[in-house]
Amino acid sequence: MKPLIKKLTETFSPSGYENAIREVIMDEIKDFADEIKIDALGNLIARKGSGGKKIMLAAHMDEIGIMVNHVDKNGFARFASLGGVFPQTLVGSRVRFMNGTPGVIGAHYLKRPIKLIWNKDMFIDIGATSPKNSPVQIGDVAAFDRPFVDLGDRIIGKSMDDRIGVAVLIETLRKLKDTPHEVYFVFTTQEEVGVRGAITSAYGVNPDIGIAIDVTGADDIPEMDTKTIFLGKGPTFKFKDAGSIGDPRLIKHFIKVAEKDKIPYQREVANMGGTDARAIQLTHAGVPVMTLSIPCRYVHSPSEMVDYKDVQNTVKLLVKLLEKNIEI
Amino acid sequence: MKTDFLKSLISTSGLSGFEAPVTELIQKKWDPLTDELSLSPLGSLHGIKRGSGKSHSLMIATHQDAIGLIISQIDGEFLHISNLGGIDIRVLPGQAVNVHADSGVLPGIICQPPAHLLPEDAATGAVALKHLLVDVGLSARQVARKIKIGDTISFATEPIEMSGGLLAGHSLDNRASVAALTLCLEELQSRQHVWDVQAIATAQEEVGAQGARTSAFALRPDLAIVVDVTFAKGPGASGWETFKLDSGPTIGWGATNHPFLHEEFKKLAEKLEMPFSVEILPSYSGTDGDDIQITAEGIPTIVISIPIRYMHTPVEVIATKDIQRTARLLTEFIVMLEDDFLEKIVWED
Repeated sequence: MKPLIKKLTETFSPSGYENAIREVIMDEIKDFADEIKIDALGNLIARKGSGGKKIMLAAHMDEIGIMVNHVDKNGFARFASLGGVFPQTLVGSRVRFMNGTPGVIGAHYLKRPIKLIWNKDMFIDIGATSPKNSPVQIGDVAAFDRPFVDLGDRIIGKSMDDRIGVAVLIETLRKLKDTPHEVYFVFTTQEEVGVRGAITSAYGVNPDIGIAIDVTGADDIPEMDTKTIFLGKGPTFKFKDAGSIGDPRLIKHFIKVAEKDKIPYQREVANMGGTDARAIQLTHAGVPVMTLSIPCRYVHSPSEMVDYKDVQNTVKLLVKLLEKNIEI
Repeated sequence: MKTDFLKSLISTSGLSGFEAPVTELIQKKWDPLTDELSLSPLGSLHGIKRGSGKSHSLMIATHQDAIGLIISQIDGEFLHISNLGGIDIRVLPGQAVNVHADSGVLPGIICQPPAHLLPEDAATGAVALKHLLVDVGLSARQVARKIKIGDTISFATEPIEMSGGLLAGHSLDNRASVAALTLCLEELQSRQHVWDVQAIATAQEEVGAQGARTSAFALRPDLAIVVDVTFAKGPGASGWETFKLDSGPTIGWGATNHPFLHEEFKKLAEKLEMPFSVEILPSYSGTDGDDIQITAEGIPTIVISIPIRYMHTPVEVIATKDIQRTARLLTEFIVMLEDDFLEKIVWED
């Protein structure tokens, strides 16, 4: 799966500009799905199986990024965030625009070392000297430019949030030979700006059960108050986050499947964050949902790290889950 | 008022997202009072009482979930906690709680480390939730065996019948309204009504009205009444947004509340010579009503509230008389509804 993860994380597609990643995913899944469609918001929806319970699996294909809102008279591009970008992770970062233009994020960090203010302290240097010879304009978007790195068990990349979920869905679709369910593999758009793709795709699919596959922040690093989520100890079953409460019956079912097949898992109660699960839960007459998360260090920074075993175990769990009936 | 059912309602766990135990209790009570009972995919209870007419339905939504706690981390023999809904953390230390583990209910207490062991910024004032712990008295080994992250924790405070017809206890927000709706269903057994009544005990109000929003989408009522609690006058709470205990229900006014329904309720309360207040809710009501109102093509909605003191603490206080009054107001509104009621709702210039 590593070449796939490399390909996915090295594709540039911030929220609202998912064309490139959608094409990559389409190419990977087209021989494995019974039906594929793209909805009005650009969600890629692949169905496998028919007639049984409708199960929607959602992984968002967009990533956080930036958008240019001004090019100053000396050719420096000023920018706003697309999604939750932390200014302190930006200085010295490289970005790449959709037209291929690279740039480096500069800042007056010597003048103001602690707090960086959007549009004041930071800018993108694209090597231009005036708006005239600038290869980027107002409205152009960019994502972080970082290569995929394989450290063995641990892998690093930009946009592991949530291309690792996308990789899990692709691999699950390929490995799932037979299912009693009608499974919808949904690669959602615009998650990072308010789960917008999931709102419309969930309405369109109207599933009986919804499962969001996303990353969750691992706190097994120095200087953290809590130690709850660890890399390498398996995917997490989320009881709650700021967006939704996982359906207790569904979580119980996941635990049963994981324990029967000896797949490691972690129980998670989060105070912040939210996933596509919230959008699915609120569609139509309501849908039992949960979030299945892959632990990830340094979420929303240009270098996000996950454990490859967790990724494989998430795929294994989903395949086992989808092969059999789900009674909740 | 007989308080047995209300007391069992507030003594039964049913935290946001984990409503099953209290749902079962309400289900038993409503079964003989309604024509159809069902559960929504999110756990809202739908009780339908058919009217003699054929075409119109009124939803009455009371949320059944209560605020509480959930275990976020286990540290030896102590449990770290996170909130389910907006809990008032100032009152937590020293509270008796029940930990709902797979093996059964374990009694425990909420404790806080001594001030000198807390970080400097937490040594004075209310101690943040992240520093509070739950102690169930078991050894670390027993805790590891019996308790898991994700197990819920509810208040264990017993209901207290106080002088002057007041009742104190946790979860009166919003089981008091569930009790009022139940009383209304009982009264309806001997009354004629034209409209269908959708009695709904909604799930997950305290975490974002997920239950109300989806139940309204599924049932598409013509009108909706939301019954919830509001702030009673009390120590430090005396402004225009508070209402005396035992002064009757409040009738909402503001964007969530349809002006025609507001007028109808006011006229009805006056006709019944029932005390009431007008509650000013300028933009949002902070109840299920905000979500029901904008469901599908839109549903004219009104929020009726019962005043309570010390909201979101384990000692919420209510005047039981106000519950009876609210029930009566609901009943009389329902029997008043004729087939042509919707035609009377017009937007005047």
